[in-house]
Amino acid sequence: MSPLVLSAWSAVSAYGVGSAPFSEGINAGRSAVGTLDRTVYPGPFERGGLVPDFTAAEYVGRKGTRTMDRVTAIAVTAVGRLLASCDAEPARRPEQTALVLGTGSGSVQSIMDFTRDSLAGERPYHVDPARFPNTVMNRAAGQSAIWHGIKGPNTTVAGGWLTGLLALSYAVRLHRGGHCARVLCGAAEEYSTQRAWLEWHGRTAEERSAPLGEGSAVFLLEMPEDAAAAGRAPLARIRTTCFRAFGEQGEARAALAACVRDALETTGVAAGDVRLVAPLGAGGELAALEEAGVTDALGATDPRWIRCRPLLGDTSAASTSLQLAAVLAAAGESGLAPGEAALVTGIERDGTVGCALLTGA
Amino acid sequence: MTTANRVDADGRATIKEIICDILEIDADEMTDTSRFKEDHEADSMGAIEILSQLERAFGIDIDQAELARMVNLEGVVTVVGEAVAAKAASH
Repeated sequence: MSPLVLSAWSAVSAYGVGSAPFSEGINAGRSAVGTLDRTVYPGPFERGGLVPDFTAAEYVGRKGTRTMDRVTAIAVTAVGRLLASCDAEPARRPEQTALVLGTGSGSVQSIMDFTRDSLAGERPYHVDPARFPNTVMNRAAGQSAIWHGIKGPNTTVAGGWLTGLLALSYAVRLHRGGHCARVLCGAAEEYSTQRAWLEWHGRTAEERSAPLGEGSAVFLLEMPEDAAAAGRAPLARIRTTCFRAFGEQGEARAALAACVRDALETTGVAAGDVRLVAPLGAGGELAALEEAGVTDALGATDPRWIRCRPLLGDTSAASTSLQLAAVLAAAGESGLAPGEAALVTGIERDGTVGCALLTGA
Repeated sequence: MTTANRVDADGRATIKEIICDILEIDADEMTDTSRFKEDHEADSMGAIEILSQLERAFGIDIDQAELARMVNLEGVVTVVGEAVAAKAASH
């Protein structure tokens, strides 16, 4: 069990930049998936959930962003807004503030463009050296810290759809190990034609046409006493994260049910207290198995289901972080009420399931 | 023939555009002799970028030792002129 609380958050999503448009969109149940500009984004998809009018120059600044790629700019923007929402106070103790950011592959667009330049150019070294740092997957986490002066441990976590939950789990462990006083934690994903093709080829036929999305959600995790000292009201307490593996697809339901039961039992939270459930809802048939697994574990209760996937598209590595943000959006400005619990779940097609259990702080 | 003749007005404009883009400054901020590092806050990464982009734009090879001379627009034009001449001579 973790003593950490979530006391601030921000989101960059297809609803726009900031937690306010995200909360409004999620609570209205309004889909932000729209028609893609096919001249900018050729490729297999006609629709997608892109952050509207987002550019690094517009949201990060004109200086120093010439070679900043999209996922990095999205992450830097999300972390910047998170810090701004708490008066930049965590950045004033930079060595004790960690940053844990989930990502898919970093920017596959950057990786592919750079590699193509090297292979297709007149000389293999006729590449833009300033773009090389974009080709490593920890670019977004590194830049987010450098840009905002965060000097604590800096970690990149990747785990498919479960990335956001794994990042949360890692962040809690990092804090428990005494490596930092607080953690900025979340995940980011960008839309690109390159990612679109990878997803297209990686998917089964039944889910192939589901639109992609992009965005980021980041959270401030800190001790309740630190939140109180800074005058921040905790929005939720992170009780635990649990993960399991499965072999055949049909075993995913039982694996997730066991995972959720485990989370409830280790924390002593009653199934009936779970008022909000934010499932991943991805992977064709896996989406139905996920809801069935959660229902198996919760029994005859009647939680409110917050389904982000139809609203935001498949945001891949950012999915579970955006689900967590959706829980906070649904809980409102005062956060989860005492005695109220929320569940964020996911099933990764590669054979892992996970959940995070939150309660009122 | 002097080496400077190898870079015409268009070439000079291209060089200036590349450098201003990398240093994220407006063209009118840069003079022929304003220094990248001291006047325009360039770092070593910026210098390597300038060298690399010029190699791609002009199809030339520039030895990294030339960076010592590539401190302002005038110096870069001279180095590019020499590299263009060296390329022509090798053909």
